[in-house]
Amino acid sequence: MNDVFIDVDYAQIYKHGQKIGGDVFLLSRQDASGQIVCTLSDGLGSGVKANVLASLTARMAHKLSFSPMDLTRSAKIIMNTLPVCKERKISYATFTIADLRRNNAGEVLVNLVEYDNPSALMFQGGVPVRWEREKIDLKRDGAFKREVLGHSFLKLPIGSRLLIFSDGVTQAGMGKSLPLGWRLDGVRSFAQKLIERNPDISSHDLARDVVAHAHTLDRLTAKDDITCMVLYVRKPRRTLVVTGPPFKKEQDCVLVEKIRSFEGKRIVSGGTTAQIVSRILNRPLKVDMSCWSPQVPPCSKMEGLDLVTEGMLTLSKVATVLEQKRQAYTLPNDAVKKFIQVMQESDQVHFIVGTKINEAHQDPSIPVEIGIRRTLICRLQRALEDNYLKETSLEYI
Amino acid sequence: MGKKEKVSVRICVGTACFVQGGADLLLYQDFLDPVVLAGCDIHGISCISGCKDDTMAVRPPYIEIDGKVFGEMTQDKLCKLLREAVHA
Repeated sequence: MNDVFIDVDYAQIYKHGQKIGGDVFLLSRQDASGQIVCTLSDGLGSGVKANVLASLTARMAHKLSFSPMDLTRSAKIIMNTLPVCKERKISYATFTIADLRRNNAGEVLVNLVEYDNPSALMFQGGVPVRWEREKIDLKRDGAFKREVLGHSFLKLPIGSRLLIFSDGVTQAGMGKSLPLGWRLDGVRSFAQKLIERNPDISSHDLARDVVAHAHTLDRLTAKDDITCMVLYVRKPRRTLVVTGPPFKKEQDCVLVEKIRSFEGKRIVSGGTTAQIVSRILNRPLKVDMSCWSPQVPPCSKMEGLDLVTEGMLTLSKVATVLEQKRQAYTLPNDAVKKFIQVMQESDQVHFIVGTKINEAHQDPSIPVEIGIRRTLICRLQRALEDNYLKETSLEYI
Repeated sequence: MGKKEKVSVRICVGTACFVQGGADLLLYQDFLDPVVLAGCDIHGISCISGCKDDTMAVRPPYIEIDGKVFGEMTQDKLCKLLREAVHA
């Protein structure tokens, strides 16, 4: 598993009265190389027309960054392709492309291309970082203005963030609360304050807060589409899920040592497994009778573990909830809800599955959902990877 | 007269017990007589291991009252057993 996690998210509010946006954000990840490309494009005008322009631009920019084609050439192709606006007689859309790759040393390298969007901001921890951009003049035939791309090649160490936004953010409040709008400096100091207040703020929350503030400056009637994207490089939040006793009793100590030495959150799922841990670590196990529902047995508490639950019923319910992408707040207050919350707050989940067969579960009179532990874990892994883009790994003991 | 010790009750919340009637027993606050309830100290336990014990004559759900394991427990049986234990 990677030691670096790239957290990307964005938030968006459309221009007041519009049901479709002229700002388009695209994100995709290539599994094989781990390359991530994020594109933000702002189309000319607003509504459907702008959305068409921005979608075209973003999609082209996006596809072209996965190809080995030269950047200047890609940009020219995009601009030559865009249709001409009927009112303004020009074809125009802005874009920012962040192309992220990991090198062998585990560092994150960003190839950042900006065209006419507000400049991207970089923070290292809570400190804003300024850098020089290489200017590339496109000198395109038939251009209606001088077209200059800003190109930069950045290294993002752990703890750094990149903020990319549309002019709806920097111009927020223009003519209302602020004569010239929020401006880049305003956004920078606002984001800096947010990061200082909460150094671990997620991309999701930071983007949402920036957009919400821009919206407030516009007195809740946005004059333009407001979009902000945040990219945050951080250490992955890891979770260990242990379920089932080891096949051989001698392995009990090995399992407990693995739990003890794990860095991150720890979940033990299974009554017998929890009792093994309790016995070896000599820590009492206390059942929390306030936290259960008719489908899910109560969870327990043990010092050093973040969550202790029953095994098969809880895991099978968790798998179903993850597969259906149900929100945690819609669930009753039981072990499944707590399990889901921990999963959603993790980036990497490691499963240790004990392969001992529980004779009591082979009884034909008990429900069929108590299936085979290994199949169940596969369902969980698939749901976490496909629906929530988490990284998972598995080991048997 | 010294204060009477509370009856120690442990309800198994393991998978096999929970699906075979143990879930109903967890509603003990609703079906037990308040006087009986006051005389008992009720906890959950991850697994009593009765289901894995071949010598056990009774089936789940299991419950442990003052160290003694009872099987095939129902709400009515539990009421009766605890009433006897508390008033003993």
